[in-house]
Amino acid sequence: MKIVVCIKQVPATNDAKIDPETKRIIREGQKAIMNPFDTYAVEEGVRLKEKFGGEVIAITMGPPKAEAVLREAISVGADRGILLSDGAFAGSDTWATSYVLAKAIEKIGDVDLVICGKQAIDGDTAQVGPGIAAHLDWMQATYVMAVESVETSSITVKRMHEDGYDVCELQLPAVLTVVKDINTPRVPTLKGRLAAQKYEIPVWKPEDIGADHDKIGLKGSPTRVVKTQAPDPRKASTIRIEGSPQECAKALVRELRLRSLV
Amino acid sequence: MQHHIQNKIYHVEILPPKQDSEKLEADLELFVNKYTRVMESGYCACITDNAMGHLSFQGTEMIEELELPVYPEQVMIHLNTFHTKENLDEILNTCIAKGIKYLLVVSGDGSERLPKLKPSDIGAEGVESVTSVELLKYINREYKDKFVLGVAFNPYEPEDHEFEKMERKLAAGASFIITQPLIEKNAVVDKLLEKYPDVPVIVEAWMSKKLHLLSEAVGYPIPENTEYDPIATLKMLHKVYPKCGVYLSLLSFKTQYDLIKDTWVNE
Amino acid sequence: MITLTDLERKEYRNIWVIAEVLSGEIQPVTHELIGAARTLADARNSQVWAVVLGSGVGDKAESLYAYGADTVIVVDDFRLSGFQDEMEARILVRLIKKYKPEVVVCAATSRGRALIPRVAVMANCGLTADCTGLSIDPENGDLLQTSPAFGGNILATIRCSNHRPQMATVRPRVMKAPEPDLNRKGQVIKESVLDTDLDKMKKIIEIFRSKETAVNLSDARIIIAGGRGMKGPEGFELLKQFASRVGGAVGASRAAVDAGWIPYAHQVGQTGQTVQSTLYIACGISGQIQHLVGMQSCDMIVAIDKNPDTPMMQIADIAIIGDVFEIIPEIMNEIPKL
Repeated sequence: MKIVVCIKQVPATNDAKIDPETKRIIREGQKAIMNPFDTYAVEEGVRLKEKFGGEVIAITMGPPKAEAVLREAISVGADRGILLSDGAFAGSDTWATSYVLAKAIEKIGDVDLVICGKQAIDGDTAQVGPGIAAHLDWMQATYVMAVESVETSSITVKRMHEDGYDVCELQLPAVLTVVKDINTPRVPTLKGRLAAQKYEIPVWKPEDIGADHDKIGLKGSPTRVVKTQAPDPRKASTIRIEGSPQECAKALVRELRLRSLV
Repeated sequence: MQHHIQNKIYHVEILPPKQDSEKLEADLELFVNKYTRVMESGYCACITDNAMGHLSFQGTEMIEELELPVYPEQVMIHLNTFHTKENLDEILNTCIAKGIKYLLVVSGDGSERLPKLKPSDIGAEGVESVTSVELLKYINREYKDKFVLGVAFNPYEPEDHEFEKMERKLAAGASFIITQPLIEKNAVVDKLLEKYPDVPVIVEAWMSKKLHLLSEAVGYPIPENTEYDPIATLKMLHKVYPKCGVYLSLLSFKTQYDLIKDTWVNE
Repeated sequence: MITLTDLERKEYRNIWVIAEVLSGEIQPVTHELIGAARTLADARNSQVWAVVLGSGVGDKAESLYAYGADTVIVVDDFRLSGFQDEMEARILVRLIKKYKPEVVVCAATSRGRALIPRVAVMANCGLTADCTGLSIDPENGDLLQTSPAFGGNILATIRCSNHRPQMATVRPRVMKAPEPDLNRKGQVIKESVLDTDLDKMKKIIEIFRSKETAVNLSDARIIIAGGRGMKGPEGFELLKQFASRVGGAVGASRAAVDAGWIPYAHQVGQTGQTVQSTLYIACGISGQIQHLVGMQSCDMIVAIDKNPDTPMMQIADIAIIGDVFEIIPEIMNEIPKL
């Protein structure tokens, strides 16, 4: 099986501190990590390779330093990594990003399966996976919590929904997006990490994947972010409720009902 | 462990490099230097296990890959509950193969990237979650008599609860105790010493000047003194706790290491 | 990307809502979306159309007039009974080409978020995910979409000036469903599945719908969290009942997890999960920094504790001073079982 895993480098959120004035999380000096959902995608790709044979290729679109996540993928079992990096890719929204990744997958050729994480924790859109499937005109399965079986030209998966799950069979080649329930990602070993350091990671540019310049970067992005803002700071005052348990309960439920919370 | 105390052997905490380190080669070298210095000084190197939930390399990996020498009285490995069973057994078997016998068994800090042991993994019944107690029992059962097991004691958490937990930890096989960092004489630690006169107790000394970091580590606000002098505090701890060993966290190998050869004075 | 000329852009009219259909039933979130669409349509002087794809939906579609739909397009076909994202995408792209809606909205559910990104790429248009706000820019009629990013720490406003339709998935339970007006009438358009839609049909082998929603902390709207004040696993049993009553998930402080009262999966905080629920009720949690960091972004924080001065009681929007074991049963009395 030739498996491509699409991964992304994102800012970490673990080292948060609280701003005493706004009482909001300060996001400064963020370290960069592999998008947590992508670690599950890489793990699943590696498991499928271990089971069925084949190759796992990790790809990412990002700035030069994003090659760190490709090395991380290699350190846990991916065979190769490819970095898609060029000024022309910058400013891409999900339409353009999924286009670039789709072109890279075409360039790699003969790919059976593409695996992505459910969403990236910075953009939170969950759009790139299905976008890749659309650009390639392949079948897709999202929120996959288990791969039940793989045949020569089909794959059967369990998809998670808010109200339960379904099990469906789709034709290969296909794109999967996976959720955390699918596996427990192995932790890189020092040995794997040291071996991954030695890899030469190729950098592909628009010309290398035959990308249409009108479909990448800002030009290729139908959406534009016009403004970002922090959510409103927490209001300073606290409503204090005291009294008998019954009084407290009634007062609370009244407040919650006012806000349509219960 | 008594022999460490009697012979004034410091327990020096060393953190392995984080997995996301951007300068891995340099960090590995730094670790080797620290470890080697600790060995040469006759102290005991205490290697942490994904401290604060930051994904790091394992102590056993470091020792194996970097071919570091193990002197059984001079190495202690932290071991927490955030491992797969396979990984846990791998670590324990590597310890045995290398002659590492001191383990500090803690519940530990988890994070997104770290798997957690399930009760069924280690044959723990009737519990919702694996804590250091269940892990101790597992090690004692499956790796009987192979290790000397230590546990943590937190004097900043409600007393009754901590003492109750300690009873269970000792019953599960723990034979020495390491406390959370102390910056002064602590009444709860005094109680601990009174209650368990035969159990070796090692107090932790906070060797960094940044008290606010200590505050975060122990989870309760410590008033910022104008000047916190870690070396002076260390000397004070020796005087106040002459029967205890000392665990040095955040020791600066550059500015403080040479000073500690003179600090262990008990009168 | 090919952008539309002004003339071409003006050909696109009306606000579409893609109905959320499960087992042939239209889900309530559809009403919320129609309510939001109505506001947009009024600002644009145009209509609200609902699009209902499914099996056995034919007679249900007209129920949407009451909520504000003017027209309903129905594709009722037994082959759409499971979730066939590829087929539905094909159909929607065809309908969009035919009827040229200006805006298309869909619920940001597992199905919506699988389907609409595929449609957006196929239809060459922009999509904003999981919106919590939609409005029309009075200056040029563009749709302004507000969407959280960075786990809710940032709100982004997004616009799609040069492509139509403008698409958005909308977070459930944020928009208000209007009161149905049963006198409202509308018209229905029947469309069908074509043979060309079938080449990418999935084989649905099993569908499982659980009675209780599988709630996890990061998606939970309401979290009931417990700390040391819950005194033991029995305390957490009480919280589980409370959570079940309000449709919430159970969270925990590190102290409770370390004590073994509840599994680590429920831990909220720096070394656990970071959550941004709409409501966070902290029961017997003192609020150490490491815990606060994990739940500070929740919209409303309620704290219940005997001690009025803990950090959690101070940052809470509502602080209730009392015994959790007495107060929680009373709260449950006030909220009827569904």
